[in-house]
Amino acid sequence: MGNVLSILFCLSLFYVCITSRVKGFVTVLRIQGILLSIIIVIPFIYHFSVFGIILPVTILLVKVYLIPKYINKIILDLDIKRMIEPTIQQFSFLLLVIVTMTVIFIVTHILSQSTELNVIPFASGFSAIIIGIYIIMFRKKLIVHVAGFLILENGIFLFGTSVASELPVMIEMGMLLDVFVVVFLMGIAINNISTTLSGFDVTALGRLKD
Amino acid sequence: MGIEIIQGIISIIIIIGLAPLFAGFINKLKAILTGRIGAPVLLPYYELQKLFKKETIVATDSSFISRFSPLLNFIIMLIASAMLPIGFWKPLISFNGDIILFAYMLGLARFFQILAAMDIGSSFEGMGAAREATFALFAEPIFFFTLGSVAFISGQTSMYEIYHSIRLDNVSYIVFIIICSISAFLLAVTECSRMPIDDPNTHLELTMIHEVMILDNSGLDLYLYQYSGYIKLFIYGILEISFFYPFSAHSYLVGLIIFIFGAIILTFTLAIVETITSRFKMKNIPQYLLFATAIGILNLLIYTFTK
Repeated sequence: MGNVLSILFCLSLFYVCITSRVKGFVTVLRIQGILLSIIIVIPFIYHFSVFGIILPVTILLVKVYLIPKYINKIILDLDIKRMIEPTIQQFSFLLLVIVTMTVIFIVTHILSQSTELNVIPFASGFSAIIIGIYIIMFRKKLIVHVAGFLILENGIFLFGTSVASELPVMIEMGMLLDVFVVVFLMGIAINNISTTLSGFDVTALGRLKD
Repeated sequence: MGIEIIQGIISIIIIIGLAPLFAGFINKLKAILTGRIGAPVLLPYYELQKLFKKETIVATDSSFISRFSPLLNFIIMLIASAMLPIGFWKPLISFNGDIILFAYMLGLARFFQILAAMDIGSSFEGMGAAREATFALFAEPIFFFTLGSVAFISGQTSMYEIYHSIRLDNVSYIVFIIICSISAFLLAVTECSRMPIDDPNTHLELTMIHEVMILDNSGLDLYLYQYSGYIKLFIYGILEISFFYPFSAHSYLVGLIIFIFGAIILTFTLAIVETITSRFKMKNIPQYLLFATAIGILNLLIYTFTK
């Protein structure tokens, strides 16, 4: 079952590569949050524990409800344009992602021969980390960078679940780096960056000189 | 042996006979969903009948290619329809490796249609031909990666055997079938020039891909082109429906029932998709096609490295 959800996670990664709207990113973040919380709940179906339920519920609340809602609010408040402004074409981006994913699957296969790990969740998580970095590299808007960071972090989460089936609860809670992202978003919102930099365009930072 | 040949012939007759009905049914549903009464379901038959009676006029500058391209298209579609299983009936043409013959039969039909469009000498049709060639380039990998991944897993290379060998042992196989059917749906939409890729209803020069290539044909030529278009749509529909045969546990009768239900569900899906989506921008189409290819590649990767 975890494998099936990881495959769906990979499909959401492909979709994030071709979408050209900021709203698309928000939808994908919601879907990934739901998938991750189901993946974590599955082991607790057989032996129920209260601590086991806290984490999925928190993820559902933070990743599926709070953060996407906040991003949507910022998009509305700061009047951000709906298109994502890529620096390379989506087609080349998707090609790059396919090649990366192939390499990752091969590497994971080699790794799985020497250590014990679930190939599909491991490779999906790894791909999400790399694709998150790609999104930060190849997109101009700051709000999309935040989405890229969240995807990267979802990847770390999936990666963690594939390596060990049960981590101590406190460490798992530590993975909720999302709370850190809210600081980013608040920074964007409070400083009202769209007015000072006239848009969330990071290329403007390239013009800074000392 | 004898009964298999009869079943194969019946399959071809079903495909040829019901193909216009399938198209008519989609158009009717689409009209109902957009709040219109719509043309009768049998309209494609009436149109074909009308075209059959009309005089064929051929452009004066055109060569022999424009003359035989419509007939070739139609014959190729007949051969391709003889390779598809209907409800677990063994198709008439079935041998190891016919999956490649099937793909290139359709490729040959497209090639001659493009040549015929360029042969007439109108720049307008040349543009349509160029578009058709471009999108076909991106659509072909979808076919090979989707059906190819199933072939790779089952270890078979004949279409009948491939569809026959799908087993529903574990839950990941079901997900795999559903994912494959998504990319097969995208392939069908592209190859048959349906809504998100191409609009079959418009006759504007900027939006057309497929329709523009047959603008200068009339009478019997147009009849053959139209009919092969309907058959092509039905063929891709069957390609899609066949993914769901394993649910019938290999019984012929239940297979047929699944075929009928699948066809009805597919018409609904096509009509709903065509109602709720608008056409993609021309420059965005390749990335959506690559998305479908990526699904196939993902399938292949997963089954290669988890065995």
